[in-house]
Amino acid sequence: MNILNRSLVRLPITILQSWTSRCTYVTNITDVPNFDMENPFEKERKQCILCKHNIIPDYKNVKLLSQFQSPYTGRIYGRHITGLCEHKQTEVETEIVKAQSAGLMATYMKEPVFIKSPKLFDVENPLRPHRF
Amino acid sequence: MITYELMVLLRIMPKSELVSTLKRTAETLFDKGGIIRKLENLGTRDMPYKTSVHGMVYNRASYFLFEFNAPPLAIRDLLDEYGRDIDIIRRRIYKKIVPEHQECTLHEELQPAPYRKNVQELVEQARKLDKPKFNYNTGLDYYPFQK
Ligand SMILES: [Zn+2]
Repeated sequence: MNILNRSLVRLPITILQSWTSRCTYVTNITDVPNFDMENPFEKERKQCILCKHNIIPDYKNVKLLSQFQSPYTGRIYGRHITGLCEHKQTEVETEIVKAQSAGLMATYMKEPVFIKSPKLFDVENPLRPHRF
Repeated sequence: MITYELMVLLRIMPKSELVSTLKRTAETLFDKGGIIRKLENLGTRDMPYKTSVHGMVYNRASYFLFEFNAPPLAIRDLLDEYGRDIDIIRRRIYKKIVPEHQECTLHEELQPAPYRKNVQELVEQARKLDKPKFNYNTGLDYYPFQK
């Protein structure tokens, strides 16, 4: 190859071709990558926060349910904000309605005792933009 | 057999009256052919919203939870009976939650739209509304003659 390094030496194309073909022919079979392995770039399976900790929402557990409620309007946050799976979101919604009906939970606001409870999700960064 | 949960909000009253009210609630349950599994006191606190019943406005209540079994037909009578009791501010009967394991589907839901199953179903539904296309039956994927 040092012939190539010496600049301005032009080799006929046939010689170059013979070099490359010889190189590919010599390639060892054992060097061929194994394509039967499972996808190494497969992403980890995501789980919502309630499924991860195996929590079943209950209408008596007002402290948990109020975390899914807006402190300004008392409305329930949507799935694109809470990051729950379809099943858990419907469960949370029904339990909140039950709790509000039973007089355990506020309807038009979050109760002041729960205002400082830790945030489970970021309201300002929803998965997809808000409707409003 | 369905296990129900009865949530009653009682007005603030001295202990002796409270006991008699709770006994009365339990008695009505027994009369309708029910059995009590559990009775829980959830404490006395300010209600999240005021309630006006029986000609009075209440802001505070004592919360009690009954867990019971009763024939489903008796539930309506029970609610009616408790609604006429002047010591009870609010009453609700719910079925007890039976925990069942459900696999989390969040991973599938976060896929791009064409990979989601419900979107695929919608697309399939929309395809059904397409206008029928004339089939030439030539066995070719193009029209062999000049149009
Ligand atoms: Zn989940």
